[in-house]
Amino acid sequence: MEILDSRLKLFLYSMTLSIMILISGLYFCQIYQGDKYIRLAHNNRLRMIRFPAPRGEIFDRNGVPLAVNDTTFCIMGYPLDLNTPAKLEHLSRILKRHGIPITVADLEKTIKQQRLAPYRVMKIVPNLTMTQMAELVADYEFPHELFPLSVWRRTYPAGPTAANILGYVGEISEEELKARAEDGYTGGDLIGKSGIERSYEAILRGSPGQEALEVDARGRKVRTLDANNAVKGEDIHLTLDMGAQKMAVELLGSNKGALIAMDVHTGAVIALASSPVYDNNPLAWGISGREWVALMNDPARPMLNRAIAGVYPPASTFKAFMSIACLEENVITPSSMYTCRGGLRFATHTFKCWKHSGHGGLNVLGALQHSCDVFFYQVGMKAGIDKLIKWGRKFHLGEPTGIDLPGESGGNIAGAEWKMRRFKTTWGTGDTINYSIGQGYMLMTPIQIARVYAAIANGGKMVTPHFNRNAYKTPEDIGLTPEKLAVVQKGLGYVVSRGTGSRAGRFGVSIAGKTGTAQNSHGDDHALFAGYAPAENPKYVAVAVVEAGKHGSSVAAPMVGQLLAHLLSH
Amino acid sequence: MWDSLKEDLASTDRIMLGCALMLSLWGVFCIYSAAAGASGRGFDLAVKQSAWLMVSIGAMLVVMVVGHHKLLEGAYPLFGLTLLLLLLTDLLAPKVNGAQSWLGFGGVRFQPSEFAKVTIILMMSKFLSRYPPYDLKTFAAGLGVISLPVLLVLIQPDAGSALVYLVISFGMLVSAGTPFKYLGTLVGLGLAGIPIIIMFFLKEYQKNRILVFIDPMRDPLGAGYNVIQSRIAVGSGGLSGKGFMAGTQSKLKFLPEPHTDFIFSVFSEEFGFIGNLLLIFLFSVLLFRIILTGVHSRDRRCKILVSGVASWLWFQMFESMGMSIGLTPVTGLPLPFLSYGGSSLLATFIALGLVASVYIEGVSTKRVFYINPQ
Repeated sequence: MEILDSRLKLFLYSMTLSIMILISGLYFCQIYQGDKYIRLAHNNRLRMIRFPAPRGEIFDRNGVPLAVNDTTFCIMGYPLDLNTPAKLEHLSRILKRHGIPITVADLEKTIKQQRLAPYRVMKIVPNLTMTQMAELVADYEFPHELFPLSVWRRTYPAGPTAANILGYVGEISEEELKARAEDGYTGGDLIGKSGIERSYEAILRGSPGQEALEVDARGRKVRTLDANNAVKGEDIHLTLDMGAQKMAVELLGSNKGALIAMDVHTGAVIALASSPVYDNNPLAWGISGREWVALMNDPARPMLNRAIAGVYPPASTFKAFMSIACLEENVITPSSMYTCRGGLRFATHTFKCWKHSGHGGLNVLGALQHSCDVFFYQVGMKAGIDKLIKWGRKFHLGEPTGIDLPGESGGNIAGAEWKMRRFKTTWGTGDTINYSIGQGYMLMTPIQIARVYAAIANGGKMVTPHFNRNAYKTPEDIGLTPEKLAVVQKGLGYVVSRGTGSRAGRFGVSIAGKTGTAQNSHGDDHALFAGYAPAENPKYVAVAVVEAGKHGSSVAAPMVGQLLAHLLSH
Repeated sequence: MWDSLKEDLASTDRIMLGCALMLSLWGVFCIYSAAAGASGRGFDLAVKQSAWLMVSIGAMLVVMVVGHHKLLEGAYPLFGLTLLLLLLTDLLAPKVNGAQSWLGFGGVRFQPSEFAKVTIILMMSKFLSRYPPYDLKTFAAGLGVISLPVLLVLIQPDAGSALVYLVISFGMLVSAGTPFKYLGTLVGLGLAGIPIIIMFFLKEYQKNRILVFIDPMRDPLGAGYNVIQSRIAVGSGGLSGKGFMAGTQSKLKFLPEPHTDFIFSVFSEEFGFIGNLLLIFLFSVLLFRIILTGVHSRDRRCKILVSGVASWLWFQMFESMGMSIGLTPVTGLPLPFLSYGGSSLLATFIALGLVASVYIEGVSTKRVFYINPQ
């Protein structure tokens, strides 16, 4: 027993000793070297710098660069090193001396953003050129706690011409950071905000590099302790043809609207212009809040990609769809004749034909050629809304086409069910009459119209419009009867060769298509034209929508004609 | 039963239990602060730890009522059960952070390796008092007993627990009166074996931990990162600390695993040297009371038993505090009472229940408790 007690006492002694050692260790660390560690915690000697990966570049179908990376410089630093007004004043003075107009207030605002984490390195001044940076660093007064960091800046050589397609990149927002918590983003990273940049973010972004630096008390790099290299994102090649795109933008000119060209067999988009345009370069470099608000509140809405998100009544371009639906449903035969006397009286209302004197008797071919409203009023009434909706669904009206751009609208297929849900009233025959000429509740985006016309041109296959040349999807055959489709194709040919769309046919290629004039409650009518060429062996489809362009025949048809002629001659 | 519990509580070592409670409550606050910065789950984890503390206190009371006599009687079967559970863990448990140490049991996960510390103490105190390790044969038999659980946790692989088992057993061998020549030889062999263990038995990350213990700057982003950042956290706490919830190292996520392995770094950063002295004072009083309970007891088994509990708590305290200032290598052992973790807390309180039970017996036989009973 005694030996046990003596051993327990040994325990007491050794524990006392070990606790003395522990306390000495803590004393050494917290008191003797405390100041050193306090400073280290402040400066945290170990500074981690993240290098954004160069983004994958974007090219058009001929290899023309559309989105590239330029090297620029940022001044990086720690908020702790800029914690007095005097230091800010000093930095601002030096910047101004080298022609960089950054005020003390600007600096304060930047630094305030990171008040919660003053020990993290942050971007103090962005977007400097190599020359500017070199001059600054050479300035003997330049604060040594700050250091330059080269970063990639995204530039879009085509600027406004393809901004609606490419979109732009910007610094990741709080919400995006939260939503993409799993994907390894951190504050300050660039992320695709719209367009191709956004749809293919995962492919384009690459993986960032990291460098761990040991720095001295003044924040200067002593040595690199460890580094991972950044890996560039993958390049993307688009089906877009910059020549055609440029032409499309120029054709639209100062009009508001959209002009699209697409391969009828694959759905490869060759041109997709939306007007008015905006320049995506300043957006990628960071614009001020005021400029952003001005851009968003511009009544012309340049940021709206009208080609995929603008919804319009398809107007008379819808008549090609109506003809197919009524022929397929055997509501009419190719030889069924209806008479137009300039209007159709239904209940208390007269639905007018655009030609007030009337077209007389005509079949479906004549009705397409002359764009007779009364013919389609009558066949539409005879078919009934349900059959039209049934065919609308076959053509995927009312749903997005699945183009690889964000923010696409699905338009509106309407119908009795929809009207009850939306307005709590029943669908009347008058609604069907309006629907039959693509007015009223029927709304489509230009890309949807292009897709329907592509299906008419290629024998009834619904393509998926796409920009990325790897995004081709096998078209879906919706099973149209070839003989009946041939009647409609012939009718569309007549529209250009001897009907309302003759102005589309003056550019040396044979075009089949349809004009449209959409009533616009806000002003002048919208002008539309949808067509494909060559009429005999279609390759490309093109659609023009010109807001307040008054007549499809005079404004929109020549645009489509010129664009298709350009595509076929190149 | 309630009457006997009341009696037990009235006659037990309230100073020891008071220290344990204060440490645990302080721990809950530290977990709140530590996890608030790292994962934003501070409140959540603090509530969970409080719930575990309730359960642990309950378990301790049960142990006190049952008494150490009955548990020592059941030491062999309990030890057998422990070995079985450790074996099951090796075979069944999913891997967490590269080691399989958790067993799921009807929705509750627990670490058998923590409870093994209690049953090893029971087993060894019974075994060593029946076969005192005075000669080579009994000494070797004692080593043989302890090698079983050590091997089973090494398979997981959980080198930290294996180390604790070895330290507990060594402490118990010392208190059981093993001749110093045997102990000296054992220590000598152990030191000589370190290079062999490092070469053949440690995983790459464990080797790195040893290497960065010698020079943290050799891998500042990998294994050395923890040591460097932890030392900065402790050191920057200074004399009086940065204040509760104001530690920059833990809040800015420089500290890894702040609410478990590096809880002491969080504590030191926020409460400083003065806070540390207070914390160590509480630990010291607790440990001294545990050992004095053994000195006071008339039962051979109990003397050995308390030395096991004391070795366990002392070692984990010393190691956990030591590693946060680079005094000892990083092992990832929890700081008793403070680190987040239900199994660890529960096992610790069960052990304290045993000590309290020994104390009560001592009081009832001797009535008076002297600091230096001669």
